[in-house]
Amino acid sequence: MNPQLEELATLYVLDRLEPGERTAFESQLLRSPELATLVHELETALTREIHSLPQHAPPADLLARVESRLDSTSAPAADGAAAPSSRSRRDATGALPSRTAAAGGSVFPWLAVARWGIAAVIAVSVATLAVQSLRRSPAPAAPPVVPPVVLVFGLDSQGSALTRMPLPPAAGGSAESFVQLASLAENLWENPNKLPVAPPAASESAHGYALFDPDSNQGFIAIRHLPALAPGHRYYVWIADLSSRRITEAGVLPATNASSGLYSFAVASPEKEKSARLNLFITAEDASTDKPSAPHGKVVLGNKEL
Amino acid sequence: MPPDTDTSAAEVLLLARIGAGDRAAFRDLYARYSAPLFSFALRLVGDRAAAEELLQDAFIKIWRHAGDYDPRKSRPFTWTVTIVRRTCLDHLRARRSSPAFSPLSAETSNSIDFTTAETARRSAEARETSQRVDQALRGIPGEQRRALELALFSEFTHAEIARQLAQPIGTIKSWIRRGLLDLRASLSEAQP
Repeated sequence: MNPQLEELATLYVLDRLEPGERTAFESQLLRSPELATLVHELETALTREIHSLPQHAPPADLLARVESRLDSTSAPAADGAAAPSSRSRRDATGALPSRTAAAGGSVFPWLAVARWGIAAVIAVSVATLAVQSLRRSPAPAAPPVVPPVVLVFGLDSQGSALTRMPLPPAAGGSAESFVQLASLAENLWENPNKLPVAPPAASESAHGYALFDPDSNQGFIAIRHLPALAPGHRYYVWIADLSSRRITEAGVLPATNASSGLYSFAVASPEKEKSARLNLFITAEDASTDKPSAPHGKVVLGNKEL
Repeated sequence: MPPDTDTSAAEVLLLARIGAGDRAAFRDLYARYSAPLFSFALRLVGDRAAAEELLQDAFIKIWRHAGDYDPRKSRPFTWTVTIVRRTCLDHLRARRSSPAFSPLSAETSNSIDFTTAETARRSAEARETSQRVDQALRGIPGEQRRALELALFSEFTHAEIARQLAQPIGTIKSWIRRGLLDLRASLSEAQP
């Protein structure tokens, strides 16, 4: 069985698939006896792990408390669940607190927004911006409200494209901002068709994208099909401020055999003045010399034009 | 012992009966599952009082949605684990508290409750299972085991696990997959 399907099966058993992925996987599961066998075996492993935990018995009166609550509410038949139904389990657990719904009701509502997908974020944020703009117009003396944005760079071997995406503000500072960005990056990694920048025509060529939060100076970069590095070289990520013509190193991609991956990065010395004109690119640098203070090597994604 | 195929089949029938409003079947399922599910909830939230409340909530949901259970998609126990897990994660997200993360292999059986004969029997079985799983876990590389534990017993997303373990998300997913697959393989080999 291919590793991708094995991964999906594992995430399914661990309840870590998004609702859409879960539905798609379940339809595949119903068609494939081989997949059903794998899921069954993984469930056995999970079951044994849970049974291997230190066992604690609940209080003796807990069942009575549950039944008392059941007596004071409706019976299953009243819930329309009198018999095993043909509805999917997802439909059933849709009434349960799904992860998305849970996040929506949590102290981090942005997490749910991120998980709904980029389209929803853009739609909601654009609508919010429009309302803010209209409200601002009769009060010109008020300072303009600048909603937080994340810069999205589309990268390929020919160059880069930049767009901005409004984000709901993160309430708790840079840590929450990082998690917010991570959620968005993960969502885009799993759903590249939702990227607001066009993917390259030839998807087998090196390409990627980067998200950068200019407020917290941190971001994520996703790469796919990067060429193999020459011995003694490393991939460096750079951010160029087109206004000040300053180039800052944003990190080194981990030296692994993987030509694809999603990585976080941060700019070490943030500018006090936030520039709206940035560029991001990756170079292959000779790692045998001192750490480069400026990009000298070949640009493999994006361009270093200032 | 954890449910095998025969007990699973019996539990599928139990869920069908619960879906039809059979309170006796519900009590039977509670007797079978409440201890492992409570232990799982306790591990997730790290608070006994909260785990008791959450287990109550979970069994209410099991009662209400048993009729929607589809045995082609999961085993009964796994289905209930999902309900407990989601209930606990909702609670954790609302509270945003830190769950307890002690390594599985470091846990001892000292904390097992021996309150009833039935619990004692199940605890003895659990201890036997625990030893077998501990042995299997020792064969899994540390980072895979850690990623698997966080995936199982924490509210963290993959991105958050990746951040905590300082690895790319793809690597984390791969470790989780390999961890569970290796555990499955180890347990198969260890079967008496």
